[in-house]
Amino acid sequence: MAATAISAKSNGIALLPWQRLLFATAVGASFGTGNGLVPMAPPIAVTVGHAVTAALVVALAFTLLERRPPRLPPWLPRWILQVVGVFLAVPIGVLLPHLLSMAIDIHAAHAPPQMTGLAILIGEGLLFGPWIALGAVVRQREVFAREQALAFELERSELARRALDARFRLLQAQVEPHFLFNTLANVQALVDGGSPRASKVLGNLIAYLRAAVPRMRDRSTTLGQELDLVRAYLELMQMRMPDRLVFRLNVGASADTLECPPMTLLTLVENSVRHGIDPSEEGGNIEVDVAVRAGRCGVRVTDNGVGLATHGSGLGTGLATLRERLQLAFDGDVQLRLTEIEPHGVRAELDFPARQAAQ
Amino acid sequence: MSAGRPTGLIADDEPLLRDSFERLLAKAWPELDVVARARNGREAIELFETHRPQVCFLDVQMPGKTGVEAAHHIGRRAHIVFVTAYDTYAVEAFRQGVLDYLVKPVEPPRLAEAVARLQERLRAAQPALNTEALLEQLAASLRTPSTAPLRWLRASVGQTVQLIPAEAIDYLRSDQKYTLVAWRDDAGKAREAVIRLPLKDVGAQLDASQFVQVHRSVVVNLNAIAHITRGANETADVHLKGRDEVLPVSRNYLHLFRQM
Repeated sequence: MAATAISAKSNGIALLPWQRLLFATAVGASFGTGNGLVPMAPPIAVTVGHAVTAALVVALAFTLLERRPPRLPPWLPRWILQVVGVFLAVPIGVLLPHLLSMAIDIHAAHAPPQMTGLAILIGEGLLFGPWIALGAVVRQREVFAREQALAFELERSELARRALDARFRLLQAQVEPHFLFNTLANVQALVDGGSPRASKVLGNLIAYLRAAVPRMRDRSTTLGQELDLVRAYLELMQMRMPDRLVFRLNVGASADTLECPPMTLLTLVENSVRHGIDPSEEGGNIEVDVAVRAGRCGVRVTDNGVGLATHGSGLGTGLATLRERLQLAFDGDVQLRLTEIEPHGVRAELDFPARQAAQ
Repeated sequence: MSAGRPTGLIADDEPLLRDSFERLLAKAWPELDVVARARNGREAIELFETHRPQVCFLDVQMPGKTGVEAAHHIGRRAHIVFVTAYDTYAVEAFRQGVLDYLVKPVEPPRLAEAVARLQERLRAAQPALNTEALLEQLAASLRTPSTAPLRWLRASVGQTVQLIPAEAIDYLRSDQKYTLVAWRDDAGKAREAVIRLPLKDVGAQLDASQFVQVHRSVVVNLNAIAHITRGANETADVHLKGRDEVLPVSRNYLHLFRQM
């Protein structure tokens, strides 16, 4: 994509773009024809040739100054440089073909009609050239503005696409079969053993699945719903590893009705279980703290599991997606920080605006 | 324990599953004497060495050492049956390796089949299927690919160790045996951190489509570049978005920006 943009631009640096070449030739030809029609004028071929050459030289100067020098002092806008350049290029452009005429026939070249023709052409050039140049500058500004508007539009649609993408990835990443079947095996074990806990565990699994199964329309849930989901998940995991997992939820009052993008807390807690507690033979604690202060909601998930020393554990995809989703949901007004704690473990800290969820 | 009874070991980190598997096994194979129950791979190895059971049922995902690692240690000294929750990777690997495996939740008919095969092998005094080569192959196919680019860098920020998302890094610069990480926090503020690893080790783990080495001591995030200016003598300078410092591009890396 970058390559095409670059090649498209480099067309503009060509000595003379073909539209400009045609335009300059047409302007030169019409002035030349006009000059050739007045009485006592030199032959029309001569006036047209002079005028077209002059117009091309002027257009060349205009185009060169469009890019060069690459940098200008701040007090000198480029359009002024271009207009002044055109002004100076007019006599040069007119005298250049005159040199050719002189080479052919020095006497005829200095006959009064020729001299008058030269003067007229220079006069016309100085009078009209700068105005035409100004017109070209204005037109180019318009084109540039249009291009920029298009670029903004592209960027906007790119953002929208990323938002959609992040949501799709969320939907895909929802219920891991490994988790589901392992949990179901536990439920079956409880049912087979006639345990009274079976019903409670099934209830937790249902709560978890209900929240985790794709809900395209729900852009946000409440923090209370998220906490229910986290509690259901942690209780399931505690049933599966009773000797290895202890957890505590400390939630301040008034947090329940706040807006919270779906799966935010769950991603952080799942991350702690998967990368902190599960790989550890001894297991550990997970603590979830939610506090609302000064219009901000602070969430802290701390575990004392194995920490992040083990690389390549797949940490990242879930968190990277979460970070992206949060940035989009809160328009960038959100912070997610991961810190290692002593002697081992990880703390995830999330800070976002405390907004009441729409009913 | 009567002399003629076959002996077995069960390893699973989830106690409920360990117990229910033992109950199912007792129904499918009443003669089997379960002499050891392990909670992780390390315990499975220890208990195997103590009791030398003839059959081992090993859960694949266990903390510390995995079931596959424990099997590798046990080798052909016992008949091994792997137990795993739904996992296409693992099941495919078992099938290819013609190893015995069971999928959780364990279904009694499947368990009965596995038990019948084990009984047959024990009776005929056949060697275990789990040869070293097969286990090696299995371990290799289950190993998580570590070639995926790094998404987070662990770096010291003041007194704390923080995880910096790779996309928030502007550039890395080597500073003797450390690496300086210039990054942006969530508020967009320019920050700096230090990693106790040489630049070449860190750089090699980052996403090569996003990070490029532009100098012996500099790796830069392409997204952080504002523009590049050509200097004298085949060098160039990288100017960054929202940062004042200018990074050098040495002659060897200039070709990266030729097209621009």
